[in-house]
Amino acid sequence: MADDMTGGVPVATVARVGVTLTVNGADYRLDLDSRVTLLDALRDRLGMTGTKKGCDQGACGACTVMVDGKRVLSCLTLAAQCEGKDVTTIEGLAADGVLHAMQEAFVRHDAFQCGYCTSGQIMSAVCLLAEGRAGSDDAIRQFMSGNLCRCGAYGNIVAAIREVRDAGGHDA
Amino acid sequence: MTTVEQRTGLVGQGVDRVDGPLKVTGAARYPNDFSYPDLAYAALVRSTVAAGRISRLDTAAALASPGVLAVITHQNAPRLERAPDSGLTAPPPPLQDDRITFHGQYVAVVVADSAEEATAAARRVEAEYEPAEPILDMGDPRAEWITDPWGTDSSRGDLKGALASAEVRFEATYTTAANSNSPMGLFSTVAVWDGDDLTIHDSTQWPSYLRKAIAQVFSLPEGNVRVLCPYVGGAFGAGLRAWPHIMLAALAARTVGRPVKLVLTRPEMFTGVGHRTASEQCVKLGATRDGRLVALAHESTTPLQIEGTQFEPCTAGSASAYACPNVITRDRQVRLNIPWCNFMRAPGEAQGNFALESAMDELAYELGMDPLELRLRNYSEDNPRLELPWSSKSLRECYEVGAERFGWSRRSPEPGSMRDGDSLIGYGVAGVSFFWYQEPCEARATLRKDGTAVVRSAVTDIGTGTYTVMTQLSAECLGLDMAHVTFELGDSDLPAGAAAGGSGLTAAVGSAVQAACRNLVRAFLDTVRDDPTSPLQGCTIDEVSVGGGRIHRIDAPESGEAYADILAAHGIGELSADGSSTPNDPKVAGMAPSGAFAARFVEVRVDPDLGLMQVARVVSVVDAGRILNEKTATSQIMGGTVGGIGMAMLEEIVTDPGTGRVANATFGDYLIPVNADIPDMEVAFVGRPDRFNSVGVKGVGEIGLVGIGAAIANAVHHATGRRVRSLPITIEQLF
Ligand code: FES
Ligand code: FES
Repeated sequence: MADDMTGGVPVATVARVGVTLTVNGADYRLDLDSRVTLLDALRDRLGMTGTKKGCDQGACGACTVMVDGKRVLSCLTLAAQCEGKDVTTIEGLAADGVLHAMQEAFVRHDAFQCGYCTSGQIMSAVCLLAEGRAGSDDAIRQFMSGNLCRCGAYGNIVAAIREVRDAGGHDA
Repeated sequence: MTTVEQRTGLVGQGVDRVDGPLKVTGAARYPNDFSYPDLAYAALVRSTVAAGRISRLDTAAALASPGVLAVITHQNAPRLERAPDSGLTAPPPPLQDDRITFHGQYVAVVVADSAEEATAAARRVEAEYEPAEPILDMGDPRAEWITDPWGTDSSRGDLKGALASAEVRFEATYTTAANSNSPMGLFSTVAVWDGDDLTIHDSTQWPSYLRKAIAQVFSLPEGNVRVLCPYVGGAFGAGLRAWPHIMLAALAARTVGRPVKLVLTRPEMFTGVGHRTASEQCVKLGATRDGRLVALAHESTTPLQIEGTQFEPCTAGSASAYACPNVITRDRQVRLNIPWCNFMRAPGEAQGNFALESAMDELAYELGMDPLELRLRNYSEDNPRLELPWSSKSLRECYEVGAERFGWSRRSPEPGSMRDGDSLIGYGVAGVSFFWYQEPCEARATLRKDGTAVVRSAVTDIGTGTYTVMTQLSAECLGLDMAHVTFELGDSDLPAGAAAGGSGLTAAVGSAVQAACRNLVRAFLDTVRDDPTSPLQGCTIDEVSVGGGRIHRIDAPESGEAYADILAAHGIGELSADGSSTPNDPKVAGMAPSGAFAARFVEVRVDPDLGLMQVARVVSVVDAGRILNEKTATSQIMGGTVGGIGMAMLEEIVTDPGTGRVANATFGDYLIPVNADIPDMEVAFVGRPDRFNSVGVKGVGEIGLVGIGAAIANAVHHATGRRVRSLPITIEQLF
């Protein structure tokens, strides 16, 4: 990495990286500024805007996606770190136009208002069930507390997750 | 034509949101989801002093950074006009001079090929300031005071005399912290010029106004500007002004000749899109021994930014909350070097209700009376300020139903007397008399030859459910299945819409939609007026009803004709009609417009050993007039309650006293409620359709937040014997 000097201030030239992202089962070859996060790669480079940016600081959960089956904050993950990993986003949850049980439950229970946190909530909720951490309402509340909802849909989010859990729908 | 009120159809049913499937699949498109070929990205540079002048700006390094297309500052920005006022003054256009009035004011915008490059280059803009001593404290003698800023102060009877002779007197000062709207959606603008035509995607709650504002700032005909906001990631009032960053995105796009996207960072959301002001309030009450209020004085002082206005009447609601003959309410503002104050869910009422309803609780203890009983004893049957009957009021029922559901009778009056294991239990109640604000609104209804309808208005759905309830209402007014009706909004090219603010949107757009649908049925009747083959020939609107995709005669329901058949028979592709609404005048209507009323019951649990404080239960009973959708209305109340819990126990913008910098401008530092903070909540609606607007609604978007602060403070006092008169209430204040 070289620095060139302009007006006495060093200007960094930024390394580019080649990365193959596997998103919702499809491979995408990207040539990226090495600073690009997984979130921005999804949104700005691949046009998959279902994953949302609420803070870009790892504090809100709006950007939650699944990487190799685990929920991660895509704003705190560099795209370059995801080579060879399986990324699932909200766009990959419904199969052949049929909503995932969690998506359906969110609609029925009105578990969102503006909908901005919803992709992250749903990805988190799906992982929560897979983690086996949704045993009680208190557990759901605790383990969903990394996903902020400013509209305050928390009660309905808990109800939706409870319903999917009780129906035995814990496969993502 | 039968009126909606008499129907028992779609309206009211808790149907799922029509936009639900889009939102759960990530397909709903928010402003920052839009992209264009050749899109460039903008990043902002903000001032690091709160007052003074910019003495030097060096943009050479930023300009030389990779990918940078332009750096715009006050030194090279073109002159921009001021946006028109919307009832509030618009923020001045950005980058027009070197003056700084708050920490975080924009001093430059950097445009680059990518967001990363713009952000990196923005850090290379060097700014130096000639700082002035900022005014940051309401006690600063240099600060400018504004008395009765909006002409809302009120006075009736003889307050002084009544206070002096009252059998029981109570007086206290209450404070509330500044709060941040902090919607999850980062406010964003995508600006696209095509010659002199400008398209803007923005996180606004009021596209019709924003179009006007942008047009004026850039000296364009209004018709050249189009504002799009089909989905907004929450706003809670933050989207009601034409913020400077919107103008900067448009300016940046014009400068580089490419579409530009500007997404505010989370820290920028704390300084760039307004906040709820802090407040300092004094309440004085005088009462008879048996609990009748004889005197009520409520005075409030709130901070205000250095220029421009903000409507934040903390005390106005107190003038009509209780039947009391001697009342004074007064609001004042003090100008400080702080970021813009703006509407945040229940502006003024949120703070004012905390003071009044805390004071009522304290008075109840002085009197040795049940706090609920004190409220009922001073119930205002008529609006005591306007001296007119309310257009509807079921607050008494709110109290009764709430007390029953909550189990208020189990409360033992003595503070600290209720326990469950190690936890002290406290019960608290607060009453709410909300106001609302309605603006003119227009809508257009169109029936197409396949028998489906589209109804349009340039309003927004910021999560409140406008898409859904207006689809329900339109379907019912036209006698169609919901599946055959589409409601379009979020586009300034549609008929001019009211703001999603002041809890008045549903009444405004609902009345306009009703009128448009009724006019559309009239247009169909006009079409067949002289058609001898139509069973509706010569019918007037009052002789027909609608249902099943057709218009039919009330006296002979089997005699009717489908919309689609009428269009086909007359060779018409589609038929449209307009409708509009304007707010009623209280004097003409002979009644005082009622906002929603509510009773809030809260249980808190405090573990003194572990230092834990938790809201354990909330019961809310709300009179919001006619409920258009039980499900979305309940969500509004629950969401507002969550906001209220945040205000009561967590939220406080901390300003560094030396520099005026917001010191906690992240979600890691400014705490908002998380899932685990929120208990079980019960919501019930009571009351009748309101008489003030034709739809009968009173608005549910804001009232859910109001009263929670006082109910929690009152419950905390009941649990611990500690009276906390400042929000947020934190555990350190208790022990
Ligand atoms: S955007 Fe990633 S946690 Fe907020
Ligand atoms: S639905 Fe708006 S933030 Fe959760």
